Amino acid sequence: MTDASWAVLGDEAIHERDRVELSLPARPELLFLVRMTAAAVASRADFGYDQIEDLRLAIDELALTICGDEPQAGRLQLLFKWSEDAIEVVGVYEADSGESRPELVLAQPANELSARILDALVDEHGADAVGGCPRAWLRMRRRKGSRA
Amino acid sequence: MTTEVNFAVTESEADGTPVLAVQGEVDVSTAPELRERLLALAEAGRTVAVVDLSEVSFVDSTALGVLVSGVKRLRSSGGDLRLVVTQPRISKVFEITGLDDVFRIFASAEEAVQA
Repeated sequence: MTDASWAVLGDEAIHERDRVELSLPARPELLFLVRMTAAAVASRADFGYDQIEDLRLAIDELALTICGDEPQAGRLQLLFKWSEDAIEVVGVYEADSGESRPELVLAQPANELSARILDALVDEHGADAVGGCPRAWLRMRRRKGSRA
Repeated sequence: MTTEVNFAVTESEADGTPVLAVQGEVDVSTAPELRERLLALAEAGRTVAVVDLSEVSFVDSTALGVLVSGVKRLRSSGGDLRLVVTQPRISKVFEITGLDDVFRIFASAEEAVQA
């Protein structure tokens, strides 16, 4: 994955040291790993319980935005970054060699319910395509008083 | 290699009403099983059913979509799909999606069956 794929939410306040990359097969039964990682990152960033749970759900919806609800041949690549004030996540689907996925080139929330969930839980989110592969991102700012 | 999934659906009956008690996390991986169980009830001619989510720790939009399909199917037959939700985290998901206005949600399976 190139650095350009991650360049969505450029924010100098987030130190490059505080980043975690996760790469896994884009299969529904492995989505729990994405939620576990999100929870661990939010906990490490000292977010409170409610926001950790919100991030678990938001990251699940972000992954559905990128990969859809069927097993895919490629991989889901995720970058988690955090600072004192926010957590950012960028996800990109990396197609298997020769795989053509025109149906997901223009990524968007998986459905209306997914869009409502993301709207409610995170401060910013979006989706597009990079190099023909779906990409989605979100930013969750720390709420006042939200510390573990 | 198998992947252990924290999910189970247990079917019982109370006063003639089928109750599906769901445990664990309902996501894109596990929601299809719930869909199949709801579909089986409808195909068996059941028009009223209860889905007990009190032991569920996580639902995503896929799970909600399955429940919405289920309630539409049963209501089109003159029945209903009633939910039991006790966990604040799960209640919140219904609230932020507006589905708390769509479903009849109860605090216990007993209440849902008697409604």
